Amino acid sequence: MRVTKVLTRGIGEVDLRDLKVYRRRGGYRQWKRVITELQPAEVVDLVSKSNLRGRGGAGFPTGRKWGFLPNNGRPRYMVCNSDEAEPGTFKDRMLIEETPHQVIEGMLIGAYAIGAKQAFIYIRGEFKRGYEVFSKALADARAAGLIGEKLLGTEHGVEITIHRGAGAYICGEETALLNSLEGKRGEPRLKPPFPAIKGLYDEPTVVNNVETLAFLPYILKNGPEWFAQIGPPKSPGLKVVSVSGHVKNAGNFEVALGTTLRKLLALAGGPRDGRKIIAVQPGGGSSACLFEEHLDLSYDFETMAANGTMLGSGAVVFFDDTTDFVKAAHALVRFFAHESCGQCTPCREGGHWLELTLERILHGRGLDSDIDMLVAVARQLTGINLCPLGDSIEPFLASVVKRFESQFRGYVKNRAIAV
Amino acid sequence: MIASRDFAETLAKVKPEAEKLMAQYPQKRSALLSILHAFQSAEGWVSPEAMAAAGEMLELPVSVVESTASFYTLFFRRPVGQYMLQVCRNLSCQLNGAEEIMAYFRERLNVRHLETTYEGRFSYEEVECLAACDRAPCMQVNLEFVYDLTREKIDEMLRAMNAGNFEVAPLPQTAKPDVTWFVAHEGEKKSPGAQGVSSPNDPGGIGDPSGRQMIERIVRDPRLIEARPTAERLVRDGAALEAGAEH
Repeated sequence: MRVTKVLTRGIGEVDLRDLKVYRRRGGYRQWKRVITELQPAEVVDLVSKSNLRGRGGAGFPTGRKWGFLPNNGRPRYMVCNSDEAEPGTFKDRMLIEETPHQVIEGMLIGAYAIGAKQAFIYIRGEFKRGYEVFSKALADARAAGLIGEKLLGTEHGVEITIHRGAGAYICGEETALLNSLEGKRGEPRLKPPFPAIKGLYDEPTVVNNVETLAFLPYILKNGPEWFAQIGPPKSPGLKVVSVSGHVKNAGNFEVALGTTLRKLLALAGGPRDGRKIIAVQPGGGSSACLFEEHLDLSYDFETMAANGTMLGSGAVVFFDDTTDFVKAAHALVRFFAHESCGQCTPCREGGHWLELTLERILHGRGLDSDIDMLVAVARQLTGINLCPLGDSIEPFLASVVKRFESQFRGYVKNRAIAV
Repeated sequence: MIASRDFAETLAKVKPEAEKLMAQYPQKRSALLSILHAFQSAEGWVSPEAMAAAGEMLELPVSVVESTASFYTLFFRRPVGQYMLQVCRNLSCQLNGAEEIMAYFRERLNVRHLETTYEGRFSYEEVECLAACDRAPCMQVNLEFVYDLTREKIDEMLRAMNAGNFEVAPLPQTAKPDVTWFVAHEGEKKSPGAQGVSSPNDPGGIGDPSGRQMIERIVRDPRLIEARPTAERLVRDGAALEAGAEH
């Protein structure tokens, strides 16, 4: 079946940052239709029928997430999560920088659907350009009467506020993001209560990823059936996949879920000359590694989970036969140790401990027992933290230690100084 | 060139912007990060005066402002160089030669991670994934991206910065930077035990209950004292230990 790209269409050909260009291509028509013709419940229903699952990492069904909001008459908030910082992911930055208006349109539709009059977008602090582009797009849309109070001749209105982060991976976790949005340290909150019940300022809140929201105008335009029939029934639809690592032509590729990993590799130009891909991390730094025998697996939420890993944020990193997996593991473990907010002891201490142990191994002073200790400590710090950051250390580390144990042992055997 | 620093002037400039920011949120504290960003773009760093002013505007104790600011790596609570060079050290860049790029930066500028060059022009940091893995190895200069790094590209970039004609504008500089802008060494948020094993080549900490090896190491490297307030305390304790005082 031929799949038509929607989110990445036109990028690099026309300037989609220009409101006129975006509108000429049908932009904001769905927002107009939603606000003038549809009831919020109808929008929720359409999105539920599309089986759209969150594109930020957890893959939670969007319609169901919206359905958790209580009917308590309290103000509600829509928050767009653009704190993209999962190692290997660069799709949201592209969407923000290249086509901000479709993100705005998605935010407006989402806010209307859940009955929120105020929406926020949390943009990662490092995305200075994204912040500037998005601010300009918001101003243009506001001037065109698409954002604000009493819009398009109705009584409804949605205000959008742009909020800039300041360097913290953990703020991609929704409750940490909400704390940061409240002007606090970005430390995750204890769940439950979930944001749907007590979110921003303790009011019912929905946090959706940039890509998730950007799909809304197209789901409304083409109908939920269009989206639901693309790819596997349980995880349908299109997905922007960030492919990087040892490939010739790294980049973002919008594909149907269910595409094979091998096809993604081919889209990215294949391996470097004379090299062979021996491993692939399919869902960002938090996901377990897959190997060459897995390249024909279907890339979707279910299949990845069934193979002990996850689709995550859709960041696919390929490794060829030159890879030093001890260094790769060190880079990711150091990342999680650095980004731990420090609230939970297992994550704060365990991550740091693992980083130091890997450093010791890399310096040629590792002990034979260190290899087993890596796996044991990673295991022990998993599942006992407030948020999933600590749990993100084990998957990649354990999977590469298991597969490439000889590489780890090699460092130990070659150690220069006897201990 | 260090600009003359007049905080009253900065405050007069930032205040109207801060008022606007506060009005955008149902609760004004939400504007804290944005206000700190505004101060940093005016002064090049978030000074103690800026944190106090932000606290006053938001009716927050300055300790709360400082605690919040210290959580985020992009707020510099000490002066930094005119060019903040942040090179990605994460996976996709590593697979594409980031190690060599980082080594070259360190050698060319004679700095380590989190240090500023002596004349105060360059600050250097090795950072986590910048979401530009398709153009690895990558970096940011004052938060603007530079992609597909090579030695030649670095040479060219540093030459342009030294000549004052690099495409990215330098940060305002209102005070002379120290060796590092990092107020607390990142190790300090860990427990003393975990801190002690900070170098695989010098196993202190665990198995070094008095911390003697650690103290010796710090005494040998005076730079560490500048960077770590706790180090001073350790040295003082160490001196007392040497003098025979028992804990």
